[in-house]
Amino acid sequence: MANSTRRLFPVLSFLAASFLFDPLGVRAQTSTSASSTSGHGERWLHVRVINTNSKGETVRVNVPLDMAEKVLPAIDHDRLHNGKVRIGCMDCDGVDVRTLFEAARGAKDGEYVTVQSNDADISVMKKDGQMLVHVHDKNKSKDSRIEVKVPMKVVEALLSGTKDELDIVAGLHALAGQGDVELVSVKDDQNTIRVWLDSKNVTTD
Amino acid sequence: MVLLAKIALGFGATVVMAGAYTFREGLLRVDVDETRGEGHHVHVWVPAAIVPMAMHFVPRDRMRNAGERAADFMPLVHAVAKELQKYPEAELVEVHDGRQYVRVRTHDGKLLIDAEEPGQTVHVSCPLATIDDVSRELATFAPAS
Repeated sequence: MANSTRRLFPVLSFLAASFLFDPLGVRAQTSTSASSTSGHGERWLHVRVINTNSKGETVRVNVPLDMAEKVLPAIDHDRLHNGKVRIGCMDCDGVDVRTLFEAARGAKDGEYVTVQSNDADISVMKKDGQMLVHVHDKNKSKDSRIEVKVPMKVVEALLSGTKDELDIVAGLHALAGQGDVELVSVKDDQNTIRVWLDSKNVTTD
Repeated sequence: MVLLAKIALGFGATVVMAGAYTFREGLLRVDVDETRGEGHHVHVWVPAAIVPMAMHFVPRDRMRNAGERAADFMPLVHAVAKELQKYPEAELVEVHDGRQYVRVRTHDGKLLIDAEEPGQTVHVSCPLATIDDVSRELATFAPAS
């Protein structure tokens, strides 16, 4: 009995020590840094804001789309319920946004809205299954611009709910099916804002 | 002599196994270091596995009170903790604002929050499984909606 205990002791000690020390950070210290490419099929939504003022503010947010899809329905606050946002002004100033979209969906590619004023140039167009919005603010620098690119399938999914709401979860689900795409790009004198979708779990600038 | 050795071995093995069980989920760590004012330093290191266990010893009325207060956001916390476990290595948020810095990430199955500003640093490390357990436990005390 004593012999068998003696033989088992090193094994027990090793097992116990392994369990004991593993969670304390040995693995963390020896592990390599997170790889930039995430697991198979994972889609990440990235937001990057860089302000070049004296304080040099930078914001980087990386959200797995799958997680956002699962978590959003758990939020029940203000206008957001069950993954849907209630929008009161979907019928904006007599303009039925839904009907406009339905019309644009069936239409051919082209520039649908062009506004040229002293303050800004705005254009809304449909091209290669994407809704593109370009804004050039003339009050700011020459390079000041806003570009929004939303796949039509995503817009369609967003509007799939009832008339006065946007189905964010459906939109995210549709977005997950898209390839790598830059959704929003804003650039002016001091700020650079980018929102894009890819398969990497870190922001690489 | 052999009897003493057996008792020592039994005791030692029990301690080691209890330690291994206690630390199996890692540590819940909160480190707050202030270098301004009175320069408070708070360091809390708790084996994560004992947190859900300890909740069973909290008086029921206190738990019910906590459950009611947390009822609004606990489903969200639970959903986030559950989903984040699928992303054990991820950079989630990083904010630089002058000399202030906040970073939220997951590493090795833990949620890590680092916040720094002149005169104060805060580091929090909590296993995601523990957040999941605690939120689930608290949810049982939340009033039925």
